[in-house]
Amino acid sequence: MTDSPSETPQAAEAEAPSEPTGGDVTELAAAVAAAVGGTVAQTEFGTAKVAVDRDNWAAAIASARDEAGLDFFNWLSAVDWTKDTTLGEGVAEPDTVEERFEVLCMLSTLTDGRKVTFSVDLPKDDASLGSLSSIFGGAEWHERETAEMFGIDFVGHPNLAKLYLPSEFEGHPLLKSFPLLSREVKPWPGKVDVENMPSTENPEAPSAEAAESDEGETG
Amino acid sequence: MGVIEKFGAPKPLSWLLNWSRKYSLWMFQFGLACCAIEMMAASGPRYDFMRFGIIPLPASPRQADLMIIAGTVTDKMAPAIKRLYDQMPEPKYVISMGSCSNCGGPYWDSYSVTKGVDQILPVDVYVPGCPPRPEALMDGIVMLQQQIAKEDVREKWNERDRQPV
Amino acid sequence: MTTPPEIMMHLSEAAVSVELETAEMTLNIGPQHPSTHGVLRLVAKVDGERVSEVEPVIGYMHRGYEKLTEVRTYPQITALVNRIDWVSGFANEIPFMVAAERLMGIEAPPRAQYIRLILTEMARISSHLIFASSYPLEIGAATPLMHALRERERILDLLESVTGGRFHPNFNRIGGVKPAAGAGASTKKVSQDLPAGFLDETRVAMERVVSVCDDLDGLVSGNEIFQARTKGVGVIPVEIAKSYGVSGPNMRASGVPFDVRKVDDYLPYDQFDFDVAVGENGDCWDRYQVRLEEIRQAARIISQAIDSMPSGELQAKVPRIIKVPKGQVYVRAENPKGEMGYFVVSEGGRIPYRVKIRTASFSNLTILQWILKGILIPDIIAILGSLDFVLGDVDR
Repeated sequence: MTDSPSETPQAAEAEAPSEPTGGDVTELAAAVAAAVGGTVAQTEFGTAKVAVDRDNWAAAIASARDEAGLDFFNWLSAVDWTKDTTLGEGVAEPDTVEERFEVLCMLSTLTDGRKVTFSVDLPKDDASLGSLSSIFGGAEWHERETAEMFGIDFVGHPNLAKLYLPSEFEGHPLLKSFPLLSREVKPWPGKVDVENMPSTENPEAPSAEAAESDEGETG
Repeated sequence: MGVIEKFGAPKPLSWLLNWSRKYSLWMFQFGLACCAIEMMAASGPRYDFMRFGIIPLPASPRQADLMIIAGTVTDKMAPAIKRLYDQMPEPKYVISMGSCSNCGGPYWDSYSVTKGVDQILPVDVYVPGCPPRPEALMDGIVMLQQQIAKEDVREKWNERDRQPV
Repeated sequence: MTTPPEIMMHLSEAAVSVELETAEMTLNIGPQHPSTHGVLRLVAKVDGERVSEVEPVIGYMHRGYEKLTEVRTYPQITALVNRIDWVSGFANEIPFMVAAERLMGIEAPPRAQYIRLILTEMARISSHLIFASSYPLEIGAATPLMHALRERERILDLLESVTGGRFHPNFNRIGGVKPAAGAGASTKKVSQDLPAGFLDETRVAMERVVSVCDDLDGLVSGNEIFQARTKGVGVIPVEIAKSYGVSGPNMRASGVPFDVRKVDDYLPYDQFDFDVAVGENGDCWDRYQVRLEEIRQAARIISQAIDSMPSGELQAKVPRIIKVPKGQVYVRAENPKGEMGYFVVSEGGRIPYRVKIRTASFSNLTILQWILKGILIPDIIAILGSLDFVLGDVDR
């Protein structure tokens, strides 16, 4: 066991994505996908992802709990896939990305380290999904948070009120189209306020700090 | 006490009032975030601000005269903080501890953070740091005590309805 | 004139036989309240002393972490992320670092991993000491606060001697820990390895920590009042824990011996010998005992790690500007509050596309409406304290 920290993950395959130091999850993903009626979406980096159809969502999660033994509700959230690149850096290929919401739900077990992420794609103009709160009690708050942050409607949820934000807040913050107003006023405070640090050789030379604050600039 | 409003107070009396105020600051137990943990450490056995007279720690604002805003002020919490400040009786002092309550801090660009508590309250002393060490907080308290010692009782009485800028 | 005995008897019987009609009252606890661990608001409907239902209102500390990670580079996120669970700062950075390293396909060198492990366990001890000091205070005992904070200062001194910060250290770098300080255009690099004497001082500190656990046991655990207020109160059955996602010491107190340190390999825990602290009934008493036992086990891990510390570099070779390749990864860790994980969606580039932060206290608090039904008001305080949540962890 003492050689594992020094063994480099790159090994011989330089072109493949890193050997998953999180363990090999191909078998797990295939087994779970078969049990719930979905397809394997990813097995790299030790992260097993199974894609499920929208109409099959609640039934798939229920059979994951009952048949595949994934009875620990870990979390539920969403990703906003969009071509918009005003905030941060955006997707790698904005022309080919399909604009959608991808709702993710992770279940795991308390007996060993198995964990599987289930994903379902929702179109942006019809963002509604069946609620999981009757299957897992913990889904209630997670779905409330996702609804508040993205504007996704969960059908059958007992109480879809705002969770984090004050009631006067308008908009859904985690959408890529939601701007951060402070950044529009002043993009990066470090760049504006930097001063030249005096160095012993050349008191007038720009310092390393000025170069690094250029790196810090985003948007 | 219309006397103080019109004539001010004689020097020995105002010295006595200021001396007693600064050495018996009753701090209202109000910690929001990480700076609250440093505040707890400052009240702990090693740094111990009780020797400055900051005992007891009342849980109700109605019996306190110092409020240390330690932590991030969010837009949802801001009305509650304003109401707590209003519930404190005069004379009252506010120390803003940490960069989140000074100016928004590391969350300067967040959609839900108030950029500095001085947008809603008047602040007497700002203690910078993220989080400020307990010694820095005690330096801020000592600075506040020095400010109190130099106060003019008449001005303090007349400015009791001051609002933040 | 004194009332004759017959009339006295009548009066007392009259008081007993009258039925009082009570109405429900809404009691608002918080957001400013000395014992809600931060700004949590509970709107409780109480009938006398008994609570009929509770609605928790959170969001008073919501700082928008997940949005902020979409506009910051990976090293900048490291500096931000240790403020999520602010009592155990160092432990919040670890799963994010490991996630970025897995996506980049690099692994931290062994010495860096051991240093990370030692500092994470120290963060665990620090967090549990805060629990051990504030929980008895809420039950009514004021002295353990001082004892536990005194030992915590020792741990914070050690953390500060290595990293420079007490609980927001910013010591992790992608690929390891901070290798050098002061590397500028005109200054020389000064190697920032562990300071001299660190290993010996840590040994001493670990002995003191274990002895303060024994002190706390002596002060508090044998006390009848403490036991009466915590035994049998706030039982979390295992099925509820699984359905709601309760993790960490809260789940282990219900009898489930699951610890992420034993199943995942984000840090080299498999090199060390430690027990997983498990309770029996899942009440407040068990949660308290599990955390005290975890302090002892963490001290044990640290002592073993110090004795077998490898030498070597502190950071793997990484480019100056960190660009993480495209991919999605979830890495979780056993934080002091429970299971914390980061689901990082990277589209290549310096800034992640989406980071979902799974925090322990948020999932732990989802059971509040279930567990706080039908109990007495003082039990609310006992249960909230024993769940050991931190609002920064809940609201992010």
